[in-house]
Amino acid sequence: MDIRKVKKLIEMLEESSLAEIEIQEGEESIRISRTSSVAPAVATTYAAPAAFAPAPGAAAPAAAAEAGQEAEGAELPAGHPVPSPMVGTFYRAPSPGATPFVEIGNQVKVGDTLCIIEAMKMLNEIESDKAGVIRAILKENGQPVEYGEPLFVIE
Amino acid sequence: MLADGAFHSGTDIGRALGVSRAAVNKCIKSLTEMGLEVHRVSGRGYRLGEPCVPLDRQEIEGHLGPEGTQAAVAFHIVEEIDSTNGYLLRLAESRSVSGHVCVAESQTHGRGRRGRDWLATPYQNIMLSIAWQLQAGAAAISGLSLAAGVAIVRALRDCGVAGVGLKWPNDLIWQERKLGGVLVDIRGEATGPCLVVLGAGVNVKLRHREADGIGRPWVDLRAIAGDTPDRNRLAGLMARHLAAMFRQFEQEGFAAFWPEWERLHVHAGKPVRLLVAEGEVHGHAEGVDRHGGLLLRDAAGKQQVFHAGEVSLRQAS
Repeated sequence: MDIRKVKKLIEMLEESSLAEIEIQEGEESIRISRTSSVAPAVATTYAAPAAFAPAPGAAAPAAAAEAGQEAEGAELPAGHPVPSPMVGTFYRAPSPGATPFVEIGNQVKVGDTLCIIEAMKMLNEIESDKAGVIRAILKENGQPVEYGEPLFVIE
Repeated sequence: MLADGAFHSGTDIGRALGVSRAAVNKCIKSLTEMGLEVHRVSGRGYRLGEPCVPLDRQEIEGHLGPEGTQAAVAFHIVEEIDSTNGYLLRLAESRSVSGHVCVAESQTHGRGRRGRDWLATPYQNIMLSIAWQLQAGAAAISGLSLAAGVAIVRALRDCGVAGVGLKWPNDLIWQERKLGGVLVDIRGEATGPCLVVLGAGVNVKLRHREADGIGRPWVDLRAIAGDTPDRNRLAGLMARHLAAMFRQFEQEGFAAFWPEWERLHVHAGKPVRLLVAEGEVHGHAEGVDRHGGLLLRDAAGKQQVFHAGEVSLRQAS
């Protein structure tokens, strides 16, 4: 592998909020990790509940195992993940067209509202359980979310 | 005085209240600003466009019954508010509001789902919210909004209004037209105790000014019952049944309401269309699962569960 490519990847990692990049080209593969001691621990904390989560939109039991694998394979930026406490629809603002509760880079306190999860006309304001900076917003506005799926990463 | 819908002269009103005619005039003006329709005919005086009985604490509390009284329901009766849910949520910032009920004559920012307005005629409808602290946590209370629908149908039944069913998850439906709805706000931790503020709107007597903005089939209690039901009685019965629902839900969860919800389900066995984030799903509505999720069977015979989306009846093609 070209050393310039590796350098480029390191720069990419530094600019991003990612903890780790893994690239595979043919038989060669490279993994660059910023916080190798933290990232695997973070991954396991949310992978466990996600294994019970049904597939998006439907609770077909057959799809559950598949969803679990997907979650285990996914990589999260380093920090404190905020998982969804329920199955529902993710909303970033109190109403359509309103300013989102938080943006990437915002400073949040414990108890600040991060988003709304709606299920069956129940609007659940999700509060931050950690003070810090929003490093990642992992869902799009209006997207369905599963129980235990990470929504935000706070650092 | 004006509640009877008959004409009263400004002089009579002034004498009864011990104020001048000019003061009466000013009062009438503020009533109009609050959204009340007042007819004024020279030589005869003032009359309400529609007879109206204002909300009355004693009257409402008289209908609470043992369930409501046990739950120590406390009433907040307000003339005009942004929304009754908003009132209780703000109150919750400074004190415990579990068991508190807010009923308003008029809402300036009544909310429906996701940015939709809830439209209601001032002084003629029911706009009621009830707050409850649940130990279970937000994750464990799925099905609560369906149980609320069941509770309101029970209150309407006690008021002599029969034939009201439920559209998933909790729209109050009478002959395919919407009579009312429920919206629930939840605050708190996912696994710890949470505060539920449940808002319900029921059309009692809808004026065209509001009805024209609804944009879908609607109905009010006047059309169903022929006369205007007593709003104080209905508000009291709703508070009573909702308080009883919360108490039972705390112990038994949605299971206690499931069979009745299924009996009230207006789309049971019918072809429906469900609008979800990804698009549209067609199927036959089969009922709900134990968490309140809607069960649809698609054309291939596969059953799916949905927790979000908007259901409507699909005409068989």
